Amino acid sequence: MPGGNPRSTARIGYHPIHVMLVPIPIVCFVGTLLSDIAYAETANMQWANMSVWLLTFGILIAILAVIAGLIDFLNEPRIRDLSAAWIHAVGNVLVLVLSIINAFIHSRDAYTSVVPTGLILSAIVVAILLVTGWNGWTMVYKHHVAVSSEIDQ
Amino acid sequence: MRSVFVVALAAAVAITGCGPEPVNPKRQIGPHPYLPKIHQYLLPPMHLAEKEPWGNTKPTVPKGLKVQLFAKDLKNPRSVYVLPNGDVLVVEPEGPTAPPPARPKEFVMNWMEQKTHSSTKAPDQILLFRDANGDGVPEFHTLFLDHLRAPFGVVLVGNDLYVANTDAIYRFPYRTGQTRITVPGVKLCDLPAFPIDHHWTKSLTASPDGTKLYAGVGSNSNITENGLSAETGRASVWEIDRATGAHHEYATGLRNPNGLQFEPHTNVLWVVVNERDEIGPDLVPDYLTSVKKGAFYGWPYSYWGQHVDPRVKPERPDLVAKAIPPDYALSSHVAPLGLVFYNATNLPAHYHGGAFIGEHGSWDRDVFNGYKVVYVPFAHGRPSGMAEDVVTGFLDGDKMRGRPVGLAIDSHGGLLIADDVGNAVWRVTR
Repeated sequence: MPGGNPRSTARIGYHPIHVMLVPIPIVCFVGTLLSDIAYAETANMQWANMSVWLLTFGILIAILAVIAGLIDFLNEPRIRDLSAAWIHAVGNVLVLVLSIINAFIHSRDAYTSVVPTGLILSAIVVAILLVTGWNGWTMVYKHHVAVSSEIDQ
Repeated sequence: MRSVFVVALAAAVAITGCGPEPVNPKRQIGPHPYLPKIHQYLLPPMHLAEKEPWGNTKPTVPKGLKVQLFAKDLKNPRSVYVLPNGDVLVVEPEGPTAPPPARPKEFVMNWMEQKTHSSTKAPDQILLFRDANGDGVPEFHTLFLDHLRAPFGVVLVGNDLYVANTDAIYRFPYRTGQTRITVPGVKLCDLPAFPIDHHWTKSLTASPDGTKLYAGVGSNSNITENGLSAETGRASVWEIDRATGAHHEYATGLRNPNGLQFEPHTNVLWVVVNERDEIGPDLVPDYLTSVKKGAFYGWPYSYWGQHVDPRVKPERPDLVAKAIPPDYALSSHVAPLGLVFYNATNLPAHYHGGAFIGEHGSWDRDVFNGYKVVYVPFAHGRPSGMAEDVVTGFLDGDKMRGRPVGLAIDSHGGLLIADDVGNAVWRVTR
Protein backbone atom coordinates (compact mmCIF):
# COMPACT_ATOMS: atom_id res chain seq x y z
CA MET A 1 0.00 0.00 0.00
CA PRO A 2 1.48 3.36 -0.99
CA GLY A 3 2.03 5.96 1.68
CA GLY A 4 0.50 9.44 1.89
CA ASN A 5 -3.19 10.36 1.57
CA PRO A 6 -5.83 8.26 -0.23
CA ARG A 7 -5.52 9.21 -3.88
CA SER A 8 -7.93 10.27 -6.57
CA THR A 9 -7.56 8.24 -9.75
CA ALA A 10 -9.75 10.42 -12.02
CA ARG A 11 -7.81 13.65 -11.80
CA ILE A 12 -6.21 16.37 -13.83
CA GLY A 13 -2.79 17.03 -12.33
CA TYR A 14 -3.53 16.87 -8.61
CA HIS A 15 -7.09 18.14 -9.03
CA PRO A 16 -9.73 15.42 -8.60
CA ILE A 17 -12.34 15.72 -11.38
CA HIS A 18 -15.18 14.65 -9.07
CA VAL A 19 -14.63 17.55 -6.69
CA MET A 20 -14.46 20.03 -9.56
CA LEU A 21 -17.77 18.82 -11.02
CA VAL A 22 -20.01 18.35 -7.96
CA PRO A 23 -20.83 22.02 -7.32
CA ILE A 24 -22.81 22.14 -10.57
CA PRO A 25 -25.39 19.41 -9.80
CA ILE A 26 -25.58 20.51 -6.15
CA VAL A 27 -26.49 24.05 -7.15
CA CYS A 28 -28.86 22.80 -9.89
CA PHE A 29 -30.75 20.44 -7.55
CA VAL A 30 -31.02 23.02 -4.77
CA GLY A 31 -32.22 25.50 -7.41
CA THR A 32 -34.80 22.94 -8.59
CA LEU A 33 -36.25 22.79 -5.08
CA LEU A 34 -36.41 26.59 -4.86
CA SER A 35 -38.10 27.03 -8.24
CA ASP A 36 -40.48 24.14 -7.39
CA ILE A 37 -41.50 25.99 -4.24
CA ALA A 38 -41.96 29.17 -6.30
CA TYR A 39 -44.15 27.26 -8.78
CA ALA A 40 -46.23 25.63 -6.05
CA GLU A 41 -46.86 29.10 -4.61
CA THR A 42 -47.65 30.89 -7.89
CA ALA A 43 -48.64 28.28 -10.54
CA ASN A 44 -46.59 30.42 -12.92
CA MET A 45 -45.18 28.05 -15.55
CA GLN A 46 -41.85 29.88 -15.81
CA TRP A 47 -40.84 28.36 -12.45
CA ALA A 48 -41.73 24.83 -13.52
CA ASN A 49 -39.79 25.35 -16.76
CA MET A 50 -36.81 26.64 -14.78
CA SER A 51 -36.98 23.55 -12.56
CA VAL A 52 -36.84 21.11 -15.43
CA TRP A 53 -33.90 22.86 -17.11
CA LEU A 54 -32.01 22.92 -13.78
CA LEU A 55 -32.81 19.24 -13.28
CA THR A 56 -31.68 18.31 -16.79
CA PHE A 57 -28.32 20.12 -16.62
CA GLY A 58 -27.84 18.91 -13.05
CA ILE A 59 -28.36 15.31 -14.15
CA LEU A 60 -25.99 15.60 -17.13
CA ILE A 61 -23.13 16.89 -14.95
CA ALA A 62 -24.08 14.56 -12.06
CA ILE A 63 -23.60 11.57 -14.37
CA LEU A 64 -20.03 12.74 -15.10
CA ALA A 65 -19.43 13.44 -11.39
CA VAL A 66 -20.69 9.98 -10.42
CA ILE A 67 -18.44 8.34 -13.02
CA ALA A 68 -15.39 10.26 -11.75
CA GLY A 69 -16.33 9.52 -8.14
CA LEU A 70 -16.80 5.81 -8.80
CA ILE A 71 -13.41 5.62 -10.52
CA ASP A 72 -11.83 7.13 -7.41
CA PHE A 73 -13.87 4.86 -5.14
CA LEU A 74 -13.08 1.63 -6.99
CA ASN A 75 -9.37 2.29 -7.52
CA GLU A 76 -8.35 3.25 -4.00
CA PRO A 77 -8.93 0.69 -1.22
CA ARG A 78 -8.22 3.33 1.40
CA ILE A 79 -11.26 5.26 0.18
CA ARG A 80 -13.41 2.12 0.26
CA ASP A 81 -12.30 1.55 3.88
CA LEU A 82 -14.08 4.75 4.95
CA SER A 83 -17.70 4.49 6.05
CA ALA A 84 -18.12 8.15 5.07
CA ALA A 85 -17.17 7.19 1.50
CA TRP A 86 -19.86 4.51 1.39
CA ILE A 87 -22.54 6.87 2.66
CA HIS A 88 -21.35 9.53 0.20
CA ALA A 89 -21.28 7.13 -2.77
CA VAL A 90 -24.56 5.32 -2.20
CA GLY A 91 -26.35 8.55 -1.27
CA ASN A 92 -25.21 10.37 -4.36
CA VAL A 93 -26.12 7.52 -6.70
CA LEU A 94 -29.55 7.66 -5.07
CA VAL A 95 -29.61 11.44 -5.72
CA LEU A 96 -28.94 10.75 -9.40
CA VAL A 97 -31.59 8.04 -9.68
CA LEU A 98 -34.23 10.12 -7.89
CA SER A 99 -33.37 13.17 -10.00
CA ILE A 100 -33.80 11.20 -13.22
CA ILE A 101 -37.23 10.05 -12.01
CA ASN A 102 -37.90 13.65 -11.01
CA ALA A 103 -37.01 14.88 -14.50
CA PHE A 104 -39.67 12.57 -15.98
CA ILE A 105 -42.21 13.80 -13.42
CA HIS A 106 -41.24 17.38 -14.31
CA SER A 107 -41.81 16.56 -18.00
CA ARG A 108 -45.53 16.13 -17.39
CA ASP A 109 -47.68 19.07 -18.40
CA ALA A 110 -48.65 21.88 -16.01
CA TYR A 111 -49.44 21.56 -12.30
CA THR A 112 -48.83 17.85 -11.65
CA SER A 113 -45.37 18.16 -13.19
CA VAL A 114 -44.41 19.71 -9.84
CA VAL A 115 -47.12 19.30 -7.23
CA PRO A 116 -46.95 17.09 -5.27
CA THR A 117 -44.57 14.37 -6.54
CA GLY A 118 -41.95 16.60 -8.17
CA LEU A 119 -41.73 18.92 -5.18
CA ILE A 120 -41.40 15.97 -2.76
CA LEU A 121 -38.64 14.37 -4.84
CA SER A 122 -36.78 17.69 -5.11
CA ALA A 123 -36.92 18.07 -1.31
CA ILE A 124 -35.75 14.47 -0.70
CA VAL A 125 -32.84 15.02 -3.08
CA VAL A 126 -31.71 18.16 -1.21
CA ALA A 127 -32.05 16.33 2.13
CA ILE A 128 -29.84 13.49 0.84
CA LEU A 129 -27.36 16.05 -0.53
CA LEU A 130 -26.96 17.47 2.98
CA VAL A 131 -25.98 14.00 4.26
CA THR A 132 -23.72 13.11 1.34
CA GLY A 133 -22.16 16.57 1.36
CA TRP A 134 -21.37 16.29 5.07
CA ASN A 135 -19.76 12.88 4.49
CA GLY A 136 -17.85 14.18 1.50
CA TRP A 137 -16.36 16.93 3.63
CA THR A 138 -15.51 14.28 6.25
CA MET A 139 -13.59 12.39 3.56
CA VAL A 140 -11.56 15.45 2.60
CA TYR A 141 -11.11 17.43 5.79
CA LYS A 142 -10.75 14.47 8.18
CA HIS A 143 -9.29 11.70 6.04
CA HIS A 144 -7.51 13.91 3.48
CA VAL A 145 -8.92 11.95 0.55
CA ALA A 146 -7.36 13.25 -2.69
CA VAL A 147 -5.39 15.88 -0.86
CA SER A 148 -1.92 15.89 -2.34
CA SER A 149 0.91 15.34 0.14
CA GLU A 150 4.66 15.60 -0.12
CA ILE A 151 4.97 11.89 -0.84
CA ASP A 152 2.77 12.34 -3.92
CA GLN A 153 4.90 15.17 -5.14
CA MET B 1 -27.84 2.32 2.71
CA ARG B 2 -27.33 -0.16 -0.10
CA SER B 3 -30.73 -1.68 0.55
CA VAL B 4 -32.32 1.76 0.28
CA PHE B 5 -30.77 2.06 -3.15
CA VAL B 6 -32.12 -1.32 -4.26
CA VAL B 7 -35.59 -0.44 -3.00
CA ALA B 8 -35.49 2.88 -4.87
CA LEU B 9 -34.48 1.18 -8.10
CA ALA B 10 -37.20 -1.44 -7.72
CA ALA B 11 -39.72 1.32 -7.07
CA ALA B 12 -38.56 3.16 -10.19
CA VAL B 13 -39.02 0.03 -12.29
CA ALA B 14 -42.45 -0.56 -10.77
CA ILE B 15 -43.61 3.02 -11.49
CA THR B 16 -42.44 2.78 -15.09
CA GLY B 17 -43.83 -0.66 -15.76
CA CYS B 18 -47.41 -0.48 -14.58
CA GLY B 19 -50.18 0.95 -16.72
CA PRO B 20 -53.94 0.95 -16.60
CA GLU B 21 -56.10 -1.84 -18.04
CA PRO B 22 -56.71 -1.12 -21.73
CA VAL B 23 -60.26 -0.09 -22.62
CA ASN B 24 -61.96 -1.38 -25.75
CA PRO B 25 -62.37 1.76 -27.93
CA LYS B 26 -65.96 0.66 -28.71
CA ARG B 27 -66.86 1.47 -25.08
CA GLN B 28 -65.78 5.04 -25.79
CA ILE B 29 -67.88 5.61 -28.91
CA GLY B 30 -71.24 7.31 -28.62
CA PRO B 31 -72.91 9.80 -26.29
CA HIS B 32 -71.90 8.13 -23.00
CA PRO B 33 -68.25 7.01 -23.21
CA TYR B 34 -66.70 4.94 -20.45
CA LEU B 35 -64.11 7.15 -18.71
CA PRO B 36 -61.38 5.32 -16.76
CA LYS B 37 -59.43 6.92 -13.91
CA ILE B 38 -56.67 9.39 -14.75
CA HIS B 39 -53.28 7.74 -15.13
CA GLN B 40 -50.16 9.89 -15.21
CA TYR B 41 -47.09 8.12 -16.46
CA LEU B 42 -43.44 8.41 -15.57
CA LEU B 43 -42.70 7.53 -19.20
CA PRO B 44 -45.85 8.14 -21.26
CA PRO B 45 -46.30 5.56 -24.03
CA MET B 46 -45.27 6.73 -27.51
CA HIS B 47 -46.03 4.38 -30.34
CA LEU B 48 -45.09 5.74 -33.73
CA ALA B 49 -45.58 3.96 -37.02
CA GLU B 50 -42.80 3.94 -39.61
CA LYS B 51 -43.73 5.79 -42.80
CA GLU B 52 -44.05 3.53 -45.83
CA PRO B 53 -45.07 4.71 -49.33
CA TRP B 54 -48.39 3.45 -50.75
CA GLY B 55 -46.65 2.04 -53.83
CA ASN B 56 -49.38 0.23 -55.75
CA THR B 57 -51.50 -0.37 -52.67
CA LYS B 58 -54.64 1.56 -51.78
CA PRO B 59 -56.79 2.11 -48.72
CA THR B 60 -59.41 -0.53 -48.00
CA VAL B 61 -63.16 0.06 -48.31
CA PRO B 62 -66.16 -2.20 -47.56
CA LYS B 63 -67.85 -4.23 -50.28
CA GLY B 64 -69.93 -2.06 -52.60
CA LEU B 65 -67.52 0.87 -52.42
CA LYS B 66 -64.58 1.72 -54.66
CA VAL B 67 -61.46 3.71 -53.79
CA GLN B 68 -59.36 5.58 -56.38
CA LEU B 69 -56.22 7.64 -56.27
CA PHE B 70 -57.55 11.09 -57.19
CA ALA B 71 -54.26 13.01 -56.85
CA LYS B 72 -50.74 11.94 -55.95
CA ASP B 73 -47.24 13.38 -55.43
CA LEU B 74 -48.72 16.19 -53.36
CA LYS B 75 -46.94 18.03 -50.59
CA ASN B 76 -48.59 17.61 -47.18
CA PRO B 77 -52.21 17.89 -48.43
CA ARG B 78 -54.34 18.69 -45.40
CA SER B 79 -57.70 19.94 -46.68
CA VAL B 80 -59.89 19.48 -49.72
CA TYR B 81 -62.67 21.85 -50.78
CA VAL B 82 -65.06 21.50 -53.69
CA LEU B 83 -66.12 24.62 -55.63
CA PRO B 84 -69.66 24.86 -57.07
CA ASN B 85 -68.46 24.00 -60.61
CA GLY B 86 -66.87 20.80 -59.30
CA ASP B 87 -63.26 21.98 -59.22
CA VAL B 88 -61.40 20.52 -56.25
CA LEU B 89 -59.05 22.65 -54.17
CA VAL B 90 -56.25 20.88 -52.30
CA VAL B 91 -54.54 22.86 -49.54
CA GLU B 92 -50.82 22.19 -49.02
CA PRO B 93 -49.74 23.98 -45.83
CA GLU B 94 -46.27 24.09 -44.40
CA GLY B 95 -46.90 23.94 -40.65
CA PRO B 96 -45.40 26.86 -38.72
CA THR B 97 -41.81 26.41 -37.59
CA ALA B 98 -41.62 25.15 -34.03
CA PRO B 99 -40.31 27.80 -31.60
CA PRO B 100 -37.11 27.09 -29.62
CA PRO B 101 -37.87 24.44 -26.97
CA ALA B 102 -39.35 25.90 -23.78
CA ARG B 103 -38.51 22.62 -22.01
CA PRO B 104 -36.17 19.65 -22.70
CA LYS B 105 -39.28 17.54 -23.42
CA GLU B 106 -39.92 19.53 -26.58
CA PHE B 107 -36.83 18.04 -28.24
CA VAL B 108 -38.64 14.70 -28.01
CA MET B 109 -41.98 16.16 -29.11
CA ASN B 110 -40.42 17.85 -32.16
CA TRP B 111 -38.71 14.62 -33.16
CA MET B 112 -42.04 12.81 -32.79
CA GLU B 113 -43.76 15.40 -35.02
CA GLN B 114 -41.18 14.81 -37.73
CA LYS B 115 -41.59 11.04 -37.48
CA THR B 116 -45.35 11.13 -37.83
CA HIS B 117 -45.98 13.89 -40.32
CA SER B 118 -45.28 14.43 -43.96
CA SER B 119 -41.57 14.85 -44.55
CA THR B 120 -42.22 16.68 -47.79
CA LYS B 121 -41.54 20.39 -47.53
CA ALA B 122 -44.87 21.98 -48.33
CA PRO B 123 -45.20 25.21 -50.25
CA ASP B 124 -48.11 26.94 -48.42
CA GLN B 125 -50.26 26.88 -51.53
CA ILE B 126 -53.57 25.66 -52.92
CA LEU B 127 -53.84 23.49 -56.04
CA LEU B 128 -56.89 23.14 -58.28
CA PHE B 129 -57.93 19.80 -59.84
CA ARG B 130 -60.63 19.57 -62.52
CA ASP B 131 -62.43 16.28 -63.08
CA ALA B 132 -65.32 17.43 -65.27
CA ASN B 133 -66.54 13.96 -66.29
CA GLY B 134 -66.44 12.67 -62.73
CA ASP B 135 -64.40 9.55 -63.50
CA GLY B 136 -62.04 10.28 -60.61
CA VAL B 137 -59.16 11.08 -62.95
CA PRO B 138 -58.64 14.86 -63.11
CA GLU B 139 -58.19 16.17 -66.64
CA PHE B 140 -55.78 18.78 -65.38
CA HIS B 141 -54.47 20.45 -62.30
CA THR B 142 -52.82 23.78 -61.70
CA LEU B 143 -51.50 26.09 -59.02
CA PHE B 144 -54.56 28.02 -57.80
CA LEU B 145 -53.29 30.29 -55.02
CA ASP B 146 -49.93 30.76 -53.30
CA HIS B 147 -48.07 33.10 -50.94
CA LEU B 148 -50.18 31.80 -48.06
CA ARG B 149 -49.12 31.15 -44.47
CA ALA B 150 -49.94 27.68 -43.10
CA PRO B 151 -53.42 27.70 -44.74
CA PHE B 152 -56.04 25.11 -43.73
CA GLY B 153 -59.67 26.19 -44.00
CA VAL B 154 -61.28 27.34 -47.26
CA VAL B 155 -64.85 28.45 -47.90
CA LEU B 156 -66.59 30.16 -50.81
CA VAL B 157 -69.52 32.53 -50.25
CA GLY B 158 -70.90 33.92 -53.52
CA ASN B 159 -67.87 35.37 -55.31
CA ASP B 160 -65.77 35.66 -52.16
CA LEU B 161 -63.27 32.94 -51.46
CA TYR B 162 -62.02 32.89 -47.87
CA VAL B 163 -58.78 31.20 -46.86
CA ALA B 164 -57.86 30.72 -43.20
CA ASN B 165 -54.12 31.09 -42.84
CA THR B 166 -52.88 30.18 -39.39
CA ASP B 167 -52.70 33.88 -38.46
CA ALA B 168 -55.54 35.53 -40.40
CA ILE B 169 -58.52 35.04 -42.69
CA TYR B 170 -58.12 36.51 -46.18
CA ARG B 171 -60.76 37.18 -48.83
CA PHE B 172 -60.04 36.70 -52.53
CA PRO B 173 -62.34 37.47 -55.47
CA TYR B 174 -63.37 34.31 -57.36
CA ARG B 175 -65.47 33.77 -60.49
CA THR B 176 -66.84 30.37 -61.44
CA GLY B 177 -64.36 28.46 -63.57
CA GLN B 178 -61.39 30.56 -62.56
CA THR B 179 -58.26 28.44 -62.19
CA ARG B 180 -55.75 30.91 -60.80
CA ILE B 181 -55.91 33.75 -58.30
CA THR B 182 -53.04 36.21 -58.44
CA VAL B 183 -54.52 39.30 -56.79
CA PRO B 184 -53.51 39.79 -53.17
CA GLY B 185 -56.15 38.89 -50.60
CA VAL B 186 -57.87 41.35 -48.31
CA LYS B 187 -57.56 40.57 -44.62
CA LEU B 188 -60.92 39.98 -42.94
CA CYS B 189 -59.55 39.44 -39.42
CA ASP B 190 -56.50 38.22 -37.53
CA LEU B 191 -56.49 34.84 -35.81
CA PRO B 192 -54.42 33.85 -32.75
CA ALA B 193 -51.14 32.38 -33.98
CA PHE B 194 -47.59 33.27 -33.02
CA PRO B 195 -45.60 32.85 -30.88
CA ILE B 196 -45.81 29.09 -30.24
CA ASP B 197 -48.91 28.34 -32.41
CA HIS B 198 -49.18 24.81 -31.02
CA HIS B 199 -52.46 23.81 -32.71
CA TRP B 200 -52.18 25.82 -35.89
CA THR B 201 -54.86 24.45 -38.24
CA LYS B 202 -57.70 26.94 -38.64
CA SER B 203 -60.83 25.28 -40.00
CA LEU B 204 -63.35 27.49 -41.72
CA THR B 205 -66.98 27.35 -42.75
CA ALA B 206 -69.80 29.79 -43.48
CA SER B 207 -73.32 29.99 -42.08
CA PRO B 208 -75.99 28.73 -44.50
CA ASP B 209 -77.19 32.32 -45.10
CA GLY B 210 -73.61 33.40 -45.81
CA THR B 211 -73.52 36.30 -43.35
CA LYS B 212 -71.15 34.72 -40.83
CA LEU B 213 -67.94 32.74 -40.97
CA TYR B 214 -66.90 30.23 -38.31
CA ALA B 215 -63.26 29.44 -37.58
CA GLY B 216 -61.80 26.74 -35.34
CA VAL B 217 -58.94 28.02 -33.18
CA GLY B 218 -57.05 25.27 -31.34
CA SER B 219 -55.33 25.61 -27.98
CA ASN B 220 -51.72 26.73 -27.67
CA SER B 221 -50.71 23.74 -25.51
CA ASN B 222 -51.73 20.27 -24.44
CA ILE B 223 -53.04 21.43 -21.08
CA THR B 224 -51.90 25.04 -20.34
CA GLU B 225 -48.22 24.12 -19.95
CA ASN B 226 -47.35 27.23 -21.97
CA GLY B 227 -49.21 29.40 -19.47
CA LEU B 228 -52.81 30.59 -19.47
CA SER B 229 -51.92 33.89 -21.14
CA ALA B 230 -50.91 31.95 -24.27
CA GLU B 231 -54.51 30.71 -24.58
CA THR B 232 -56.26 34.04 -25.15
CA GLY B 233 -58.89 33.60 -27.85
CA ARG B 234 -57.96 29.94 -28.32
CA ALA B 235 -59.62 26.56 -27.78
CA SER B 236 -62.76 28.02 -29.27
CA VAL B 237 -64.90 28.45 -32.33
CA TRP B 238 -64.98 32.05 -33.54
CA GLU B 239 -67.96 33.66 -35.22
CA ILE B 240 -66.85 36.33 -37.67
CA ASP B 241 -69.12 38.84 -39.34
CA ARG B 242 -68.45 38.53 -43.05
CA ALA B 243 -69.17 42.17 -43.81
CA THR B 244 -67.09 43.79 -41.07
CA GLY B 245 -64.66 41.16 -39.76
CA ALA B 246 -66.02 41.74 -36.23
CA HIS B 247 -65.65 38.53 -34.28
CA HIS B 248 -66.26 36.88 -30.93
CA GLU B 249 -65.87 33.47 -29.37
CA TYR B 250 -69.04 31.58 -30.35
CA ALA B 251 -68.25 28.58 -28.13
CA THR B 252 -65.25 27.88 -25.89
CA GLY B 253 -63.47 25.03 -24.08
CA LEU B 254 -62.97 23.12 -27.38
CA ARG B 255 -59.30 22.09 -27.20
CA ASN B 256 -58.59 21.66 -30.92
CA PRO B 257 -61.73 22.07 -33.02
CA ASN B 258 -61.55 21.11 -36.70
CA GLY B 259 -63.83 20.15 -39.57
CA LEU B 260 -66.47 22.83 -38.94
CA GLN B 261 -69.63 21.92 -40.92
CA PHE B 262 -73.29 22.81 -40.87
CA GLU B 263 -75.60 19.80 -40.73
CA PRO B 264 -77.66 20.37 -43.90
CA HIS B 265 -81.12 19.44 -42.57
CA THR B 266 -81.05 21.33 -39.29
CA ASN B 267 -78.47 24.05 -40.14
CA VAL B 268 -76.70 23.33 -36.85
CA LEU B 269 -72.91 23.79 -36.66
CA TRP B 270 -70.91 20.62 -35.88
CA VAL B 271 -67.23 20.11 -35.19
CA VAL B 272 -64.74 17.35 -34.36
CA VAL B 273 -62.41 18.03 -31.43
CA ASN B 274 -59.02 16.64 -30.39
CA GLU B 275 -59.00 16.24 -26.63
CA ARG B 276 -56.09 16.36 -24.16
CA ASP B 277 -53.14 13.95 -23.85
CA GLU B 278 -50.97 12.36 -21.17
CA ILE B 279 -53.57 11.23 -18.65
CA GLY B 280 -53.86 7.72 -20.04
CA PRO B 281 -54.26 5.79 -23.30
CA ASP B 282 -58.06 5.92 -22.87
CA LEU B 283 -58.45 9.53 -21.75
CA VAL B 284 -59.80 11.76 -22.99
CA PRO B 285 -62.07 10.57 -25.84
CA ASP B 286 -61.97 12.85 -28.87
CA TYR B 287 -65.43 13.82 -29.99
CA LEU B 288 -67.97 15.03 -32.52
CA THR B 289 -70.33 17.67 -31.22
CA SER B 290 -72.86 20.26 -32.24
CA VAL B 291 -71.63 23.69 -31.26
CA LYS B 292 -74.04 25.52 -28.99
CA LYS B 293 -73.81 29.30 -28.99
CA GLY B 294 -72.08 30.56 -25.84
CA ALA B 295 -71.43 27.05 -24.52
CA PHE B 296 -68.27 26.03 -22.63
CA TYR B 297 -67.02 22.50 -23.32
CA GLY B 298 -64.49 22.21 -20.50
CA TRP B 299 -60.95 22.73 -21.78
CA PRO B 300 -58.70 23.20 -19.94
CA TYR B 301 -60.41 22.93 -16.57
CA SER B 302 -62.49 19.82 -17.13
CA TYR B 303 -63.30 17.13 -19.71
CA TRP B 304 -66.51 15.45 -20.82
CA GLY B 305 -68.57 17.81 -18.73
CA GLN B 306 -67.43 18.20 -15.16
CA HIS B 307 -64.46 15.78 -14.90
CA VAL B 308 -61.82 18.07 -13.41
CA ASP B 309 -58.29 17.95 -14.83
CA PRO B 310 -55.87 18.21 -11.86
CA ARG B 311 -53.13 19.66 -14.07
CA VAL B 312 -54.74 23.07 -14.43
CA LYS B 313 -54.13 25.76 -11.82
CA PRO B 314 -55.64 28.05 -10.69
CA GLU B 315 -58.85 26.02 -10.56
CA ARG B 316 -62.04 27.52 -11.92
CA PRO B 317 -64.99 25.73 -10.29
CA ASP B 318 -67.28 28.42 -11.70
CA LEU B 319 -66.33 27.44 -15.26
CA VAL B 320 -66.36 23.69 -14.51
CA ALA B 321 -69.94 24.08 -13.27
CA LYS B 322 -70.85 25.59 -16.67
CA ALA B 323 -69.11 22.91 -18.76
CA ILE B 324 -71.41 20.79 -20.91
CA PRO B 325 -70.55 17.32 -22.24
CA PRO B 326 -70.15 17.00 -26.01
CA ASP B 327 -72.60 14.98 -28.11
CA TYR B 328 -70.71 11.95 -29.37
CA ALA B 329 -67.37 10.39 -28.35
CA LEU B 330 -65.10 8.90 -31.03
CA SER B 331 -62.74 7.08 -28.56
CA SER B 332 -59.38 8.28 -27.30
CA HIS B 333 -56.54 9.82 -29.31
CA VAL B 334 -58.03 9.07 -32.77
CA ALA B 335 -57.25 12.72 -33.66
CA PRO B 336 -60.27 13.63 -35.80
CA LEU B 337 -59.41 16.45 -38.21
CA GLY B 338 -61.94 16.09 -41.02
CA LEU B 339 -65.75 16.14 -40.98
CA VAL B 340 -68.28 16.13 -43.80
CA PHE B 341 -72.01 15.38 -43.91
CA TYR B 342 -73.10 13.17 -46.79
CA ASN B 343 -75.89 14.90 -48.63
CA ALA B 344 -75.32 13.39 -52.10
CA THR B 345 -76.54 10.14 -53.67
CA ASN B 346 -73.57 8.36 -55.25
CA LEU B 347 -72.75 6.26 -52.18
CA PRO B 348 -75.20 3.52 -51.10
CA ALA B 349 -78.27 4.67 -49.13
CA HIS B 350 -76.62 3.35 -45.96
CA TYR B 351 -74.34 6.40 -46.01
CA HIS B 352 -76.96 9.05 -46.70
CA GLY B 353 -77.48 11.79 -44.15
CA GLY B 354 -74.69 10.90 -41.73
CA ALA B 355 -71.18 12.21 -41.13
CA PHE B 356 -67.82 10.99 -42.35
CA ILE B 357 -64.91 11.71 -40.03
CA GLY B 358 -61.19 11.66 -40.94
CA GLU B 359 -59.16 10.29 -38.02
CA HIS B 360 -55.48 11.25 -38.30
CA GLY B 361 -54.50 8.58 -35.77
CA SER B 362 -52.84 8.20 -32.37
CA TRP B 363 -49.21 8.50 -31.30
CA ASP B 364 -49.47 8.36 -27.53
CA ARG B 365 -50.96 4.94 -26.84
CA ASP B 366 -49.48 1.47 -27.27
CA VAL B 367 -52.32 0.20 -29.46
CA PHE B 368 -52.94 2.46 -32.48
CA ASN B 369 -56.36 4.10 -32.66
CA GLY B 370 -57.80 6.06 -35.59
CA TYR B 371 -55.87 6.09 -38.91
CA LYS B 372 -59.18 5.68 -40.78
CA VAL B 373 -62.31 7.37 -42.02
CA VAL B 374 -65.41 6.43 -40.05
CA TYR B 375 -69.12 7.00 -40.67
CA VAL B 376 -71.52 8.12 -37.95
CA PRO B 377 -75.19 7.67 -38.93
CA PHE B 378 -77.53 10.59 -38.21
CA ALA B 379 -81.31 10.78 -37.74
CA HIS B 380 -83.23 14.01 -37.16
CA GLY B 381 -79.95 15.92 -37.09
CA ARG B 382 -78.40 13.82 -34.29
CA PRO B 383 -75.99 10.83 -34.28
CA SER B 384 -78.18 7.75 -34.27
CA GLY B 385 -75.87 4.76 -34.00
CA MET B 386 -72.42 3.26 -33.71
CA ALA B 387 -69.54 4.70 -35.74
CA GLU B 388 -68.34 2.25 -38.38
CA ASP B 389 -65.09 1.98 -40.31
CA VAL B 390 -65.35 3.05 -43.95
CA VAL B 391 -61.84 3.68 -45.23
CA THR B 392 -59.04 1.74 -43.53
CA GLY B 393 -55.65 0.31 -44.53
CA PHE B 394 -53.73 3.48 -43.71
CA LEU B 395 -51.82 1.32 -41.24
CA ASP B 396 -50.11 -1.86 -42.34
CA GLY B 397 -48.94 -3.56 -39.16
CA ASP B 398 -46.42 -1.17 -37.65
CA LYS B 399 -46.06 0.72 -40.95
CA MET B 400 -48.02 3.84 -41.77
CA ARG B 401 -48.87 4.41 -45.42
CA GLY B 402 -51.01 7.47 -44.87
CA ARG B 403 -53.03 9.52 -42.44
CA PRO B 404 -56.48 10.89 -43.30
CA VAL B 405 -57.09 14.57 -42.62
CA GLY B 406 -59.66 16.78 -44.38
CA LEU B 407 -62.72 15.43 -46.20
CA ALA B 408 -65.08 16.77 -48.86
CA ILE B 409 -67.86 15.53 -51.15
CA ASP B 410 -67.21 16.16 -54.83
CA SER B 411 -69.84 17.27 -57.33
CA HIS B 412 -70.49 13.66 -58.41
CA GLY B 413 -71.04 12.46 -54.84
CA GLY B 414 -67.62 10.94 -54.26
CA LEU B 415 -65.94 11.23 -50.87
CA LEU B 416 -62.54 12.94 -51.10
CA ILE B 417 -59.89 12.28 -48.44
CA ALA B 418 -56.72 14.34 -48.00
CA ASP B 419 -53.85 12.04 -46.92
CA ASP B 420 -50.98 14.14 -45.57
CA VAL B 421 -48.46 11.33 -45.06
CA GLY B 422 -49.31 9.46 -48.28
CA ASN B 423 -49.22 12.86 -50.06
CA ALA B 424 -52.36 11.89 -51.93
CA VAL B 425 -56.07 12.57 -52.25
CA TRP B 426 -58.27 9.45 -52.30
CA ARG B 427 -61.77 9.27 -53.75
CA VAL B 428 -64.42 6.84 -52.57
CA THR B 429 -67.46 6.12 -54.74
CA ARG B 430 -70.06 3.44 -55.23
